[in-house]
Amino acid sequence: MLGEQRRAEHEGALTEPASGRLASPDIRDEFGLETIDMNMGPQHPAMHGLLRLILELDGETVVRCDPVMGYLHRSKEKISENRMYPAVIPITDRIDYMNNIAMEYGYCLAVEKLLDVEIPPRADAIRALMNEFGRIMSHIPSVGFLLLELGAFTPILYAFRERERIQSIFEAVTGARMMFHYIRIGGVKADLPEGMTETMWEYIEGLEKRLQPDFVDLIGGNEIFISRTRGIGKMSQEKAVEMGLTGVPLRCTGVEFDVRKHYPYGWYKNLDFDVITDEAGDVEASYRVRMGEVRQSIRMIKQILENLPEGEVLGDLGRRLRPNEGDGIARIESARGEYAVHVVSDGSDTPYRVHYRTPCTVNMQLLQEIVPGHYLPDIMPIMGLIDPVSGSWDK
Amino acid sequence: MAVTLPEGDLQTRLARYLDGLNNRHGIEDSSVDGNIVLVWVRPEDVPAVLATARETLGILHLSFITVVDRQGSFELTYEMLDLRGGQVRVKTVVEGEEPVIQTVTDIYPTANWHEREAYDMFGIAFRGHPDLRRLYMWQDHFDHHPLLKSFEISTKRTFEGLR
Repeated sequence: MLGEQRRAEHEGALTEPASGRLASPDIRDEFGLETIDMNMGPQHPAMHGLLRLILELDGETVVRCDPVMGYLHRSKEKISENRMYPAVIPITDRIDYMNNIAMEYGYCLAVEKLLDVEIPPRADAIRALMNEFGRIMSHIPSVGFLLLELGAFTPILYAFRERERIQSIFEAVTGARMMFHYIRIGGVKADLPEGMTETMWEYIEGLEKRLQPDFVDLIGGNEIFISRTRGIGKMSQEKAVEMGLTGVPLRCTGVEFDVRKHYPYGWYKNLDFDVITDEAGDVEASYRVRMGEVRQSIRMIKQILENLPEGEVLGDLGRRLRPNEGDGIARIESARGEYAVHVVSDGSDTPYRVHYRTPCTVNMQLLQEIVPGHYLPDIMPIMGLIDPVSGSWDK
Repeated sequence: MAVTLPEGDLQTRLARYLDGLNNRHGIEDSSVDGNIVLVWVRPEDVPAVLATARETLGILHLSFITVVDRQGSFELTYEMLDLRGGQVRVKTVVEGEEPVIQTVTDIYPTANWHEREAYDMFGIAFRGHPDLRRLYMWQDHFDHHPLLKSFEISTKRTFEGLR
């Protein structure tokens, strides 16, 4: 393809170290060149929310990138210390507002570890079902945003068409379109409404048909997309593990790690699925991994809908929960990586301390490491690789 | 350049982790619960224990660092995963109002922002940290560490009337 040839011409420029592309000190002195500092954000349409990057530029090449966070800091951890255990769930909804259901799920699992309660099997299955819908609802728009930031407007419309349809499913099940407050300590709020399994089944089969033409054929083979993303943000496996990456950024380098597979929780023990990995470790690979994961989610949703157990969905734990003293730590695979919640109890009805290990905070350290050496416009695809959410990195 | 992840039976690996840490260091207390190896160490031993975990035992992933303000002392939890089902949890207690502890960024580079967050929220100084700035709060003109129990919030509520 022409795009690949063009990319190959620039390949040398990409593989040589960052310093190789900068003007040498002699030339710099002779012509009086110097680097300039530039602020990117916090009010920038392509910054996935409120992020400020302090960039040092040599021409169009980035020499230093320093992310400044905290523009959406709401101190969720302090607020959580001042509420009773069930009342923290709506707070967790607002951490990662693209994939809320996973945030509730992680917190409820952590508190359930403290309380040592059994979850009804039907509730467990519904949690996994809604969590996988949440993953699709997050992965597809994230690909849309990546393309939007590269200048293609159509894919975001297709992506939001899918998100809207899933939001309608969520609205029917949970009563809300974004901030669900659906997963409760000890189960889920309500059973699936009548006829919902058929609606879900119908939607999933439709999505399976649309995924190939709308998101794979249209995007994956596009020459401009390839020339903007192949080899951009390239990192080795060592780098990825060293930086503590999880989720898609780790798997796109080829490290096979998925919390659902290697630290199984809830209904995922009963499900059969593959961990999608890719060798390249660049932005294009992350796009391929995301699309593969959407297919795996579809596969899992089908398995759950085929064998949905019957019975209760919410056990009676009483209104005022007083867990025993100790630590409750649970981790789940959210759409962005490993999300862990550490709840410390002192025996009272409010948590003594809640710590959210949000995947975006950790994955964003990557910006400091891999952005230097890239051109300024390559920051957008690299943000698409990490796919952070403002609420999630700022807590 | 591929990363080698541990293989083999989970129980054997957990026993190896526990032995490896016990033999090398003066561990205060240790236990195995499910897939978690929990060790309590003195604060000055933390970098050495984590270095053993990463270099000798091959536990590559530092998941998070949690700080708990115990009003007078601070409890730190370092949670590490071997990415194949095993977990090592290192706990330590630092005494004092203005605690100081050695950094682990040279062992796990990902600890950089975890330690910055702990400094921002609790005022814990990490000795040897390359870039110890606040992560979330203002860099200047803000002298507080919000997650300390002594930092009062105006909407503090009690739930006495509820059953």
